[in-house]
Amino acid sequence: MEATMIRTNKNFNRVSDIIDSLTINPSPDAVGVLEEIGTNSSIDEVRELTSKALVKRNEFDSLSVVITNRGKGINDLSTVVAMSTINELLSLEDKEVAMSVLENTISGDFDEEVKENARSVKALMALS
Amino acid sequence: MSTIEKITQLSHRIFNTSVTEQNVARTSNPFAASNFQKNILTEDVFESSKKSTEGNVSFTGRLTAGSNRIYSTFVGSLGNIGNRISEGIESVVAFCGRVREGFVNTWNRLQELGNKEVNFDGAKEVLGRDIKSFFNLNTREKEIAKMAAMNPREEIAPMLTESLAALEADMAKVA
Repeated sequence: MEATMIRTNKNFNRVSDIIDSLTINPSPDAVGVLEEIGTNSSIDEVRELTSKALVKRNEFDSLSVVITNRGKGINDLSTVVAMSTINELLSLEDKEVAMSVLENTISGDFDEEVKENARSVKALMALS
Repeated sequence: MSTIEKITQLSHRIFNTSVTEQNVARTSNPFAASNFQKNILTEDVFESSKKSTEGNVSFTGRLTAGSNRIYSTFVGSLGNIGNRISEGIESVVAFCGRVREGFVNTWNRLQELGNKEVNFDGAKEVLGRDIKSFFNLNTREKEIAKMAAMNPREEIAPMLTESLAALEADMAKVA
């Protein structure tokens, strides 16, 4: 199914609404649900929505999911998902928490690929 | 002939057309005459050569709300003229007097309305939208707000899993 077609699908709209609700859900468990179900979906569009939702929450835990995990968020194998996540990070009004997570990732014990991506995104965020 | 004399003759011709153009036959535009009142028209130049549109009045311009109201006021004031003529209940003089009075009243009414043009642009823009979008937007926002207050683990997670399964099934069908 093409990207334009999937976005008109009734079930996709339902998934989108649920993810939107998890974006504003005050419970910390919402991050866990997004990470376990959303970021592991086989559908690129769903992973994209999930990553954006996690960034929008702008919390340490939610940002850690999209920055420090291999294959998720900025490290996703899909270029569209990775770029959308980076774009969402750059769009944040308050970048303080995101910068903190990026610095921890760069200095922490993570895959070199993950660190490299974090370094690039941090440079972009510093410029924006 | 001196220049002054030429100018005098020319001005005489311009300002006294009754003397110089009394019997000029006009077969084209009668309004070309500088002094229409004093010229003699020898032909019925007002008769149109086009018969195709007789009886049909077409109006393709846009009528504003105010214009519509004005025209309807005007037409309404003349609405019963035909009946009065056919029934012969009034003399011609009385009829003309009434028409004049009606027209003056209409004119006064137009003057009143002239400065009160109502702008319906905002309403037009709102009504131009798909009415369904209002309801969908509201119901969707309400649904999201309702789900945002639910327990993520116990209530939302099963819903998300179920919806994702349905979406994957849809995608498998298309593929």
